[in-house]
Amino acid sequence: MEERNSIVKTPLNNVLAQRRSKSYRRSMQSCVEATNLEYTSGHLTALRTPRSRRTPKSRDITKQVDPDQVALLVTKEWQLSYVTPLYHFRHTQLKYYSKQLSAFIVSEKQQGLAIEVGQELGFKVNFSVVLGLAEMDEDAETVFIQILSKQAFAAKDDAQKVVWSGWLTCVNGDLEYLRSLPSEFVSLPLLCTRGPESLTVLIKSWFEKTFDCCFGPLGINSTNLQWLAALWTGCHPTINIQYLKLVWTLPTLPPMDVKYTIHPQDAWELWDSVRQDDITDVSIEEVTRFIKVLQSHFFRHFRIDLSAGSLMQVSTALGSSHHSGKIKIASPTYITTILQLLTECALLKMPI
Amino acid sequence: MSLLKPFSKLPGLNTANILLVENEEQFQQKLADTVVLHEKNVNVNVRLARSLPLPMENEESRPRIDLVVFIIHLTSELSFQSAETSLKYLDPGYFLGKVCFLVTNARNASVPPERLVSVRKLAASLHCPLLCAEDQTTEGVTTAAHRLLAILKVAAGLVPMATGLYLSTFTRCTVPSDIDQQNFE
Repeated sequence: MEERNSIVKTPLNNVLAQRRSKSYRRSMQSCVEATNLEYTSGHLTALRTPRSRRTPKSRDITKQVDPDQVALLVTKEWQLSYVTPLYHFRHTQLKYYSKQLSAFIVSEKQQGLAIEVGQELGFKVNFSVVLGLAEMDEDAETVFIQILSKQAFAAKDDAQKVVWSGWLTCVNGDLEYLRSLPSEFVSLPLLCTRGPESLTVLIKSWFEKTFDCCFGPLGINSTNLQWLAALWTGCHPTINIQYLKLVWTLPTLPPMDVKYTIHPQDAWELWDSVRQDDITDVSIEEVTRFIKVLQSHFFRHFRIDLSAGSLMQVSTALGSSHHSGKIKIASPTYITTILQLLTECALLKMPI
Repeated sequence: MSLLKPFSKLPGLNTANILLVENEEQFQQKLADTVVLHEKNVNVNVRLARSLPLPMENEESRPRIDLVVFIIHLTSELSFQSAETSLKYLDPGYFLGKVCFLVTNARNASVPPERLVSVRKLAASLHCPLLCAEDQTTEGVTTAAHRLLAILKVAAGLVPMATGLYLSTFTRCTVPSDIDQQNFE
């Protein structure tokens, strides 16, 4: 009797075990297929991080973009943030957005005041489109936002001045990602802002309420700073970079900053010797070798190993970039390469 | 080449010896103090080193090292490179469950993600466990110390029915291969 019982029981147990594992697998698959949340163990990010880039070509951007608008973007220092895709953002409704945003700012500034105290600082918002910066068809056009306001203590007839400016852009974004977005979403992953932090916070909260997106700080990590250093040095023959300055922070007590300035011709010769013959692509190995050679030269003279610290800032005459996410583009010739790199950083940093 | 050999000396009674290798020499002191504080039943000796090879002068007086822990700070490239060069001075017998990698600042946003991936690849290729630790708070240091003690006791042979090699088949670091990733996509 017992033997028969055990014979009957064992297959049941086996079947149960099989069913459990199959349903687990099916539920895992459906879970992964239904949502687009890919579990990135860091390996996927490493796969998506580019290992080589096209060499930057000098282009007269003013042929494609209005020179006045280009002048708005260059020679100013911008703080970077990343933006998740915007829901129902229409490039045709910019005037409507301007009115809404100015009303929002005025109401937020007046919150808590029962009677109007002081002068009326009328805020006027300008949304405009910078046509021509987008490289591919999938890229959305750049949107430029300016906030003008009368200065406090200004005379009655003084014109309004620009208090805050910012722009949302997407240059050469990841094709697969842009194509996979549903049609109601517009992806402009890079936000560059300049102005008082209070206004930046207000504008971000308005965007979050209106377009259901999320903002986050975007830093430029040391690998990307090294890319910028190498790409800018590579531009030396066409446009004189005048200097290559690298700033490291070493974790000593007290922390030591090392400013390492290199003559442009020497930097260019070093970069040229590191470069392989492939003129169309620059690979990450060449960039790391370039930086390693600079570090070993420094070590030979000062016995300080810079790889123990972290790279904080890279600047040339073409622009400067800081680890905390500040970028300044001084010349419009290579602007698309820099924006492409920053768009990639923003897309990689985004939570989805 | 003076390789550190795992079985060339006799073990001590109820003793476990751990070697912490760290280029920056900051975290190892805190970790050593906490490890010694939290272990009551076993005599734990913690030895600190900046890098391998260990100095020849102490060769005779040094006890048998049961576990070698490489502490890598992800904020600096030098930390990783120094750990890599130190690996050459370990006898291959150590990689059967007597080596462990400890990584700090893995969640730091300013660290390029490629560095953690390369440390994981290194640990996976050597079949060693990879622990992530938080070195700024006392809870983080205590947690790391407890985990190291657990692995140390097995590696020193003080846990019945478990050896370092047996444990390392469960705790070793794995890097998902490209095939697995394609299945998810």
